[in-house]
Amino acid sequence: MSKERSKRSKFGRKERLFGYSIIIPYITYTAIFWGYPFIWMVVLAFTKWNYFSKPTFVGLENFARIFTDSTFMRIALNTLNFLAYLIPMVLTFSLLFALALTKVKFGKTFIMLSFLVANVSSGVAYSLLFSNLFAINGPINRLLDKFFGITIPWFSNPQLAVFSICIIITWKFIGYYGLILYAGLLSIPQSLYEAAELDGANKSQIFWKITLPLLNPSLITVTVLAIMLTFGIFTEPYMITGGGPMQRTTTFLIYMYDTAFKRINPSYATTVAIVTALVSYAIVMLIRKFFEKEVSFV
Amino acid sequence: MKRVLMFLLVVLISGLGFSVKLTFWTAPNAFQEEFWKSIVTQWNKLRPDIQIEVQTIPAAGSSEEAILSALAAGNAPDFSENIFSGFAAQLADIGAIYAFDNFGADFQKLIEARKMKSIIESWKIKGKYYVFPIYSNPMIFWWRGDLLKKLGYNEPPRTYSQIYEISKKFADGKKKFTMQVISGRNWWDRWFDFITYYYAATSGKPYIDISKRKVNFGDDAGKQISEFIYTMFQNKWTAIELGTNPFYNGTILAKITGPWEVNWAKETFPKIVPEIWFSAPPVPDNYPKDKPVYTFADTKGLVIYSTCKDKKAAFEFISWVFSNVQNDVLWIEKTQMPPAREDLTTNPAFSKFMNDKFFRAYSSFVPYAVPPALIDKTIDIQQAMTTYLIEPLMYLKGKPVDILNKAVKEINKILF
Repeated sequence: MSKERSKRSKFGRKERLFGYSIIIPYITYTAIFWGYPFIWMVVLAFTKWNYFSKPTFVGLENFARIFTDSTFMRIALNTLNFLAYLIPMVLTFSLLFALALTKVKFGKTFIMLSFLVANVSSGVAYSLLFSNLFAINGPINRLLDKFFGITIPWFSNPQLAVFSICIIITWKFIGYYGLILYAGLLSIPQSLYEAAELDGANKSQIFWKITLPLLNPSLITVTVLAIMLTFGIFTEPYMITGGGPMQRTTTFLIYMYDTAFKRINPSYATTVAIVTALVSYAIVMLIRKFFEKEVSFV
Repeated sequence: MKRVLMFLLVVLISGLGFSVKLTFWTAPNAFQEEFWKSIVTQWNKLRPDIQIEVQTIPAAGSSEEAILSALAAGNAPDFSENIFSGFAAQLADIGAIYAFDNFGADFQKLIEARKMKSIIESWKIKGKYYVFPIYSNPMIFWWRGDLLKKLGYNEPPRTYSQIYEISKKFADGKKKFTMQVISGRNWWDRWFDFITYYYAATSGKPYIDISKRKVNFGDDAGKQISEFIYTMFQNKWTAIELGTNPFYNGTILAKITGPWEVNWAKETFPKIVPEIWFSAPPVPDNYPKDKPVYTFADTKGLVIYSTCKDKKAAFEFISWVFSNVQNDVLWIEKTQMPPAREDLTTNPAFSKFMNDKFFRAYSSFVPYAVPPALIDKTIDIQQAMTTYLIEPLMYLKGKPVDILNKAVKEINKILF
């Protein structure tokens, strides 16, 4: 008791008030926009609600349903399919962009900003643009038809549709992820390259033995961001393919949205959201466990 | 002076107290918007005590999504239009809409005034009237008459075999296809392909038995339709993607559409419009020649939400609009869509529209246009139709009969 009093007495009333006035806005914000939705989410996951009636307690029924839900399983496979394309595509092209930036001498900021424009563009706008660009009688197919006599069903072939959406997402994120990798490249001390050159290492050896291993933290950051991105794909398939063909571009977010607002079942949609978040978290942890390496330049 | 001030204050307070402001959501369609804006302007001048504010249904994947999101967020309008019967059944099921039966004799009077006594019967949901039908669009096929003539035909084909015959002459599987067989991948597209073909092949038999909660289309007609869709894709007489405006640029000979496309087509492709021929949806070869061909009715109505601030006031507005035939005349002028009334061909008020070939064609199908099933799981069922029936047929994943049987099984699971 006396200890507590002595602790309190460290600060005067004015100081305490000042302290509280600084943290109260943040706590209020968190309580309203994080705490309240979080509690509501827990309530929804264990109840059945249709926006109008009172939520009725159903225990673990919503969670049990996920294990027998064939659509959920289909989407889990779709997400793996997206990951299989997106991670290599995003890593390769962002790395190439970052490496190219290190060679540029003039107008670097302009190039960086140009690539970042894609990142801040409206998802709906560029989805419409790409859907026209890749349409069966769109400019790309017209060109292919003219020169090679073929057309590619970008969005109507199930596997190609996944690939095409990955192209769009890669286009959007090259600038952003490329900058993260570029910062990583800059942090590698020049002396290491010089030492390697003196030892007679060629360019390929330098890349595989020095650049890539020392870029590990940045590469892991980009991979983690890309995994989280994959679990959150919505606008592109929603606008372009509507989740088809053959449900192959249906994502968790589309399923949640449809379940909540088309099937009027916000409870199950919430449960899907919780499970999806846990799965994505588990994958991120696995990636970090197996691929993350501590890097020090000292 | 004091008394005068007091009087003014009382008038002001009572004025404020009695004036109600209602929000009305309309379809996101420029022509309908124009109609409602002009009607509401008239009403607001007449009735300062009931002020209506018109807003178009916010942009979303569909009107249904926008309305459900608004209901969930607690900012739904007081009443809205653009509601199809299946969605109304879903809304009624969760208690989100208010039955018109509550207005008693006044509602009956309105039904009589608008000549829709038998039409309204097909909108009954669990014994009550939750929707006031506004229009009924029969879905019919548009054909490129100019191209058919070049191929040596004087009228559009009627049966599947006739379509195959034309396809052999016209389609090359690369840049020319006979027709758009499948309307799209959205759940509502099933109304405009499989369900339309089913109504045509069965003289309007319901595709779902609502009382038994079972699928009806697993029958012979369903098999013939599945075979037709499969054949068209197998021979490349149609394609999954046909590009933008394929009908107008001559990639395809035919497409199914509703009257909402008329005004747009007239404005955008004035040279093609005079060449358009109309036909009923195609039927199996054994369909009797003397029997009329039925089609799907894309029909939408108006609902009052349970959360409406003043339901009586909303109903007063609805009664005022629809008991005056001139408002339906204005509706046709603006939208080209046939109002849901039974006297379209007999009422002299509408005779002037019969000169328009589009309106004449659509009106002639009104008696044979069947609305969708009044089922609360419309979206789920039609999404399952896309996944288990339409897409496997389009991508030729198995025999048509097997695909149909699997689809029937899956949809029965949803219904049960």
